[in-house]
Amino acid sequence: MKILVVDDSSTMRRIIINTLSRIGYSDVVEAEHGKSGLDKLGQGGVEMIITDWNMPEMDGLEFVTQVRGGNPNIPILMVTTNAAKEDIVSALQAGVNNYVVKPFTPETLKEKIESLLG
Amino acid sequence: MPRGGNMESSENDALKKGRAKGSSRPGNGNGKEATPTDSQSHDGREAVNQSAEVINSLAFGMEAALPGTHPKSEEGGAHLINEIDSVSAVTEWETHKVMDQLDLISQLVGRQQELITQVMHHPGAQEDGVQKSLYEIMNAGKNIQTKVFEAVNLMQFQDITRQKLERIVYHLRQIHDYIVELLGTGNKTEERPETFSHNIAKISTTPDERKTYADSVVNEFKRGMQKE
Repeated sequence: MKILVVDDSSTMRRIIINTLSRIGYSDVVEAEHGKSGLDKLGQGGVEMIITDWNMPEMDGLEFVTQVRGGNPNIPILMVTTNAAKEDIVSALQAGVNNYVVKPFTPETLKEKIESLLG
Repeated sequence: MPRGGNMESSENDALKKGRAKGSSRPGNGNGKEATPTDSQSHDGREAVNQSAEVINSLAFGMEAALPGTHPKSEEGGAHLINEIDSVSAVTEWETHKVMDQLDLISQLVGRQQELITQVMHHPGAQEDGVQKSLYEIMNAGKNIQTKVFEAVNLMQFQDITRQKLERIVYHLRQIHDYIVELLGTGNKTEERPETFSHNIAKISTTPDERKTYADSVVNEFKRGMQKE
């Protein structure tokens, strides 16, 4: 399964990819903002997306909205520092399937990924 | 000489003047209010002017430091955003170095475990005591790998700190623009799209600090969608 990880922080991308690898998902593509994420998605094969919210060029909310325009079923997990209720609701309305607030434990990320794929 | 040094001196001078003015506030020394006179009214105007000078000096200092402003002089020119970017880049770089070392430790432990597995299959290591010891070494290695993995995960602090710094810059820009607006001097910061939430207080520090809350909001939303 190919997973797209979109985050402007290379540290965060590495941590997420490390966690994915540990739970058996090593086919990962990276993008540092929404625009780049759309490009990577356009190359095909992506079956799940993990995205940050606060990014330059195109933020996660806009990215999710655009993805949902052409991919209604692809599972999307948002991983962000935004923890306000209105933020979470906005993300869900835009089309994310689940939401993780940074910082997170590996167990939480694993739980959310598995629940999306299960 | 860096512009910051001049600014500091200018601020200090203005502040000293302000304090000196504060010590000569109207009053007759016996605790009763003095009747306003022309000279006191003059003092009042001067105090306001000096306060304005202090505020202006602060705004000028912030202007030199804040992103998106055009300082009146090229001297110094160290913009806060550059400083913040620099700090973020350095911490990110150093964080990756730490993560590289942790990955290396994990790989070395993995290699050690491969070697131990080979030894366990060796005919000369089939005694119960030897096998038990080798299992214990294997388990200790697994524990090290788990701890290393947890340590890598804790490196999220670098991204969290970066985002907090960005929010602080945002709020400083707001204060700067307010002062500029108030005094009608200096340059306001350029309009720029914000790429972060503005609320510093809502950024978690401890892993999973907001998990229960976020899960409850998600579940509530999904229940609401099912009802519709």
